[in-house]
Amino acid sequence: MARSFYPLQRFAPIPKQFSLLPFRFTRVDGKELLVNEAGEFIFAPEGTTRSLVDAAIDTQSILYRDLKAKHFIYDETSSALLDVLATKIRTKYDHVMGGTKLHIFVVTLRCEHSCHYCQVSRQTSEKGQFDMSRETADRSLSLMFEAPAPHMTLEFQGGEPMLAFDLIEYIVPRAKAEAQLRGKTLDLVVTTNLACATDEMLTFFRDEGVKVSTSLDGPAFLHNMNRPRPGNDSYERAIDGIERARAILGHENVAALMTTTLASLGHVREIIDEYVKREFHTIFLRPISPYGFAVKTRKRTGYEMNRFLEFYKQGLAHILDINRGGYRLAEIYTQILFTKILTPQGTGYVDLQSPAGEAWNVLVYNYNGDVFASDESRMLAEMNDLTFRLGNVHRDNRRSLFMSEAALKMFEASCNQSLAGCSDCAFQAYCGADPIYHHATQGDMYGHRPTSGFCMRNMEVIKHLFSFIKEDDPQTMGIFWSWITGRPLTVTELACA
Amino acid sequence: MVEENEHSVAAEPSIIARFSHDVVSIESLLKTCYWFSRDFVCEVTEDGAGYSAVSLRPKAPGVSLEGVHDDFMNQALDFALRERVTTKTADIRDLLLAKAFSESGVLEDQPLGMFGDAVEDAKPDSMFKILSNY
Repeated sequence: MARSFYPLQRFAPIPKQFSLLPFRFTRVDGKELLVNEAGEFIFAPEGTTRSLVDAAIDTQSILYRDLKAKHFIYDETSSALLDVLATKIRTKYDHVMGGTKLHIFVVTLRCEHSCHYCQVSRQTSEKGQFDMSRETADRSLSLMFEAPAPHMTLEFQGGEPMLAFDLIEYIVPRAKAEAQLRGKTLDLVVTTNLACATDEMLTFFRDEGVKVSTSLDGPAFLHNMNRPRPGNDSYERAIDGIERARAILGHENVAALMTTTLASLGHVREIIDEYVKREFHTIFLRPISPYGFAVKTRKRTGYEMNRFLEFYKQGLAHILDINRGGYRLAEIYTQILFTKILTPQGTGYVDLQSPAGEAWNVLVYNYNGDVFASDESRMLAEMNDLTFRLGNVHRDNRRSLFMSEAALKMFEASCNQSLAGCSDCAFQAYCGADPIYHHATQGDMYGHRPTSGFCMRNMEVIKHLFSFIKEDDPQTMGIFWSWITGRPLTVTELACA
Repeated sequence: MVEENEHSVAAEPSIIARFSHDVVSIESLLKTCYWFSRDFVCEVTEDGAGYSAVSLRPKAPGVSLEGVHDDFMNQALDFALRERVTTKTADIRDLLLAKAFSESGVLEDQPLGMFGDAVEDAKPDSMFKILSNY
């Protein structure tokens, strides 16, 4: 006797009606890009959103099933799986839990460089006037360890922190002991131009597990132009310092950052090639910060954001070619954004957080004991703008810092979910609010998105990255995945494949 | 929706777009104006009969008016569409966010309301009964 299968409807019943889950949309290259609350996305044909709100979509189409699978709709056959979606949202916003993670100690403002774009440094050999005292360092450590974060990073900055090396020697063992006492893990980083770093200092960093972050703006002509110092030898000293630091601390414990000045704009390939030549495997194509002395010198160093975006896109294309050639080089901003777009995770990158990461995820303890919500806000303070000074280590505790008028005003403008221009934006889940940037550039923490350099940069960069996703070239996307996951390049991702 | 496109020959050329609030609410219209406010001064006039007119005047000389009317209309319709999505999903969005953060330890009190998934929960072998403690 022949046996027949049950009809298809038994396994996949046709839904009678469906309901929408929250999402936002935009239009990209003739498609609608829908993004839900957890940052999951789908490219759909033009008219999809209207069909959804009019309940006119074909419930037996592949698009319908895709929308259901990615939490844009649910029906009586599927349920909304609210718990799953809520968990995804919670994962995306993981950065709001357990702050503050990054603590920046400005141990001195003194520096022997006079970089055009520097926001804070003081050229003086007079020790004391611009150095952090031991009492201030002790109070800063106490405040730092009041934060609930189980894992913390203490970063030494300046000026040039190596000029206050004795204070670093004082702070490091105390911070480690306090972390151990409280059961916290601690990362230590020093941000230095390496010009004054001796082998003894580097050996101390090796022994104490302190990582080095330095500046490399490109090849010699560009680096020395951006970063003048007596002898005009900043590049030579930086390269010498990088090599010695790698030899003593290990290659993986030395990182470099670059700043894009007006002079950099025409040299993106040379800058990237310099990073390859120096065997770095990451590069961060960063625009100049519109703070502090950079504002005073903007005619010399500044440029319009659209010029930076051209620089970024050319640079990213060149970096992809380098990866195809077999050398793994990740662009950090791209890596951060793709992590937010393609994975359930958020990132620790403060500028792209909502609620904004300032104070919640970073606090800066200035040499004089003032506490700021971010590195950028202490740069503003150097221009006599104290809007984001939360308090002082000698007067305040963590509660009073976070309940200060400065903090509360900033927090109000910290959620892009409720900001004009952002509340409807499809890219909201990937972007931030950055009230300090908007205060600095527009005189308003809430900001005006149509004229915001922050908004322009992120809109354009995110759209650019989505164009790669839409194109879906396996080699290119494979390279991006290698950056996200940290895995080596595979044969598929190399040009010869 | 009635639309009107006027190119003035006066010293300050402008474009006028007219909307029925049955199609585009005043909120959506203002959101559209917000994004055009970089290059244009936007003047919104309600006629009291369910229509509004938006006058777009370039802030600086040299800003082209070509395509601006159609672009404004399309963006206004997109904002109207976004408003419909937001209205339809507001309750479930509140529920999702409350649920996401009530389990994070951020909130001191549990939010009011049911947080189970009714359809899934009704099944005898539902995922929740397997995965959760209740």
